[in-house]
Amino acid sequence: MHEFDLHDLSDDADYADSMQQGSTSMTRSGNSNRNSSSEQVGAEIVYLKDNVAIHPTQHAWERIRGRLKLIKQGGSLLMTWIPYEGQSSSARLSEKDKSLYTIRAVPFSDIRSIRRHTPTLGWQYAIVVLSSGLAFPPLYFYNGGLKEFLATIKQHVFLVRSAEDANIFLVNDLQDPLQRTLSSLELPRAVSVANSPTSSIAPSESSFSRTDGEALDKNSAVIQQNGRQRQKHNDPRHLSIQVLEKFSLVTRFARETKSQFLREAHGDGFISNAMKKHDKKPNNYSSVVESNDVHKPLEDVYVPANSSEESSCEIHNKNEEAAMRDESLEYDYDKLSLVWGKPRQPPLGSKEWSTFLDSEGRVIDSQALRKRIFYGGVEKGLRKEVWRFLLGYHSYDSTCAEREYLASIRKSEYETIKNQWKSITKEQAKRFTKFRERKALIEKDVVRTDRSIPFYDGDDNSNVKCLRDILLTYSFYNFDLGYCQGMSDLLSPILYVMGDEPQSFWCFVALMERLGPNFNRDQNGVHSQLFALSKLVELLDNPLHNYFQQKDCLNYFFCFRWVLIQFKREFDFEKTMRLWEVLWTHYLSEHLHLYVCVAILRRHRSKIIGEEMDFDTLLKFINELSGHINLDATLRDAEALCICAGENGEACIPPGTPPSLPFEITSMYNQQDDDDIL
Amino acid sequence: MPSRRRTLLKVIILGDSGVGKTSLMNQYVNKKFSNQYKATIGADFLTKEVQFEDRLFTLQIWDTAGQERFQSLGVAFYRGADCCVLVYDVNSMKSFENLNNWREEFLIQASPSDPENFPFVVLGNKVDVDGGNSRVVSEKKARAWCASKGNIPYFETSAKEGTNVEEAFQCIAKNALKSGEEEEIYLPDTIDVAASSQQRTGGCEC
Repeated sequence: MHEFDLHDLSDDADYADSMQQGSTSMTRSGNSNRNSSSEQVGAEIVYLKDNVAIHPTQHAWERIRGRLKLIKQGGSLLMTWIPYEGQSSSARLSEKDKSLYTIRAVPFSDIRSIRRHTPTLGWQYAIVVLSSGLAFPPLYFYNGGLKEFLATIKQHVFLVRSAEDANIFLVNDLQDPLQRTLSSLELPRAVSVANSPTSSIAPSESSFSRTDGEALDKNSAVIQQNGRQRQKHNDPRHLSIQVLEKFSLVTRFARETKSQFLREAHGDGFISNAMKKHDKKPNNYSSVVESNDVHKPLEDVYVPANSSEESSCEIHNKNEEAAMRDESLEYDYDKLSLVWGKPRQPPLGSKEWSTFLDSEGRVIDSQALRKRIFYGGVEKGLRKEVWRFLLGYHSYDSTCAEREYLASIRKSEYETIKNQWKSITKEQAKRFTKFRERKALIEKDVVRTDRSIPFYDGDDNSNVKCLRDILLTYSFYNFDLGYCQGMSDLLSPILYVMGDEPQSFWCFVALMERLGPNFNRDQNGVHSQLFALSKLVELLDNPLHNYFQQKDCLNYFFCFRWVLIQFKREFDFEKTMRLWEVLWTHYLSEHLHLYVCVAILRRHRSKIIGEEMDFDTLLKFINELSGHINLDATLRDAEALCICAGENGEACIPPGTPPSLPFEITSMYNQQDDDDIL
Repeated sequence: MPSRRRTLLKVIILGDSGVGKTSLMNQYVNKKFSNQYKATIGADFLTKEVQFEDRLFTLQIWDTAGQERFQSLGVAFYRGADCCVLVYDVNSMKSFENLNNWREEFLIQASPSDPENFPFVVLGNKVDVDGGNSRVVSEKKARAWCASKGNIPYFETSAKEGTNVEEAFQCIAKNALKSGEEEEIYLPDTIDVAASSQQRTGGCEC
């Protein structure tokens, strides 16, 4: 452990604090160190473990070690994991990596579950999954202590073992027993929004409080209305159970208690949707007229057919659908149709962009920026600058000067890699089959990539040559992955926007960090996304799922092109760029593209089912949608679906599914169904 | 419903990236050639009505991605094929040498009921390029390979100029039809009265 001893722990504010206190309890420290855990008032460390590491790559030797703590503050429990200062185990891991992975005071109310892994060989580790569906990288307990970690948590927050997997512990820090129960029922996010407006995760949190009181007043009215409407259905109780079961990751706890909360759950789900609609009003997005007047169509959803048409995002014919599906399902689809993604905004322009930057060029609030871009995209001229952040080539907290410096370094790095193949002589190439083949493949593809765009138009186009050079250089940068068809499609808009060759290369590298698995030899990356897509459709449109199942279409290969190159062939060049920048914000989900898939499928569901499309016909139909998809409407649908699906949606997507960063490739694929796979 | 399915002939086009699979398909179906095709991602197909001895058939021609890395998708796309077209570029030795891989991969993934007699047709494409001066695979060599694999019919084509494309696809359709009929004889007991549209056998009107 001498490596550990080398760390100068006095730099670690937490460490210093605990030394001062001479015990595990701590009080507010005077310094304003950015480790937020040290800023907590009256905090008490209830668990502390050194030598807990993460492995940012698949190589175990590239690890970041740090200290894991549980801190009790006020009524809540927080978790922190702070990497040690000083040298990493590998020079490749920068301080930036460390700060990227640092876990700063995450309250357990934001944590959804902890999965325990106790392999017979190797270190024990835990994966902490947030309510948002995102997961932290696995925390490896080099010195043991995982059991104690869970035991400590159990003393302070409500922790229940999943009935489905004994190694999953569901976390629930809610004080209110009703909320606790509802939360354990894993109801759609909409429900919990209504229950706890302050912890709202809806994208409209800012306006929530303003309408809060008013909305609450309405609640009672709505419940009454709701009750009245419910009588129209034969057995509302039965319906509710169906809804709950459909959306629940059923725990034993849930089974025992849910019936007594049915009424509340039912009502709240309804209200929260109504409130969502309501809270759109203050957001004065100019261009799109809101036809949904909140005061009017609240009850529409429970009234069959036509009256709800105007207020909903659904275009399919409800009568037709109703005939097709179980009555109980109808209930929850109607609920879905209440939520409509927000109107799209105009793209972010330079003037507004400058307000996101501090005097030295740092992005002050990256979350706000990403949200802004999510709803409107970026103006053409600004893309060159903004994409570099979205793609992760520049970090949000870098200054202009730092970025300039980085660019110059990156430029020479690019030239170095490029020279590796540039310097291969003809004679050498004769005996270098792999190189020749790769080059030939790339050359075949760049001449058929976006040639109808003026930028790539004409004979001997230098931009086409540039595409080739970047792709060939990338195949040397990542020799294992090499070149695969589809990469030229992903690079083309980037080069178009960046113009500059080295910058385009590095932006492409950043994109491939996330999408590289799409091009794996075993197609694992795409398959995991198609699998997640099938789960999402099952959740969000069960009749359609059943239809696909019946037609033996659950492999979703008809969506292969969508997923492989992020809809590049489905929209024109400009629209593709708009879609990509929205996806890259990772604002509501890292996997918004899967919700986009669901949105498009749902838009055409009546046709698909009505015409009894089989696999072939479906593939043809999907391929021919290319150029005929309304991007803005699809994005709004996708947003609504994503919000509706909430945690349950994110739970459909195994950790590590692209474009999530592949932080632990081998274990990530195993963990979703490790019993099945291993 | 069964009649619709029974007159459908499914043809798969395979071969290395850039040998002209999409172009051949488009030349045959749409009588068009474009320099601006994009690399095929996933798979797509075109259909064309063909007439044989007073009977009308729908030829469904499947175009697939040529990069070997996408072969794992084959399972979904190859199933139920009645004929497989192997394409190479007469100006690329590698694309010719790979024909064997494509053939074997197809047989593994499509697993036809009678692999020995499953109909293949080989097309040597791009004979127009450079007036034939850049050609590296001779017709003799190609025909010898075809003969060694059970007398696979062979055509030299130019998708760009339309040379031999119609003739080649006539042959492809004929072989597909033969294969489809034989299959009916082999598997007469799989008639599915539940009228699944997936079924490829059974019934005998037309």
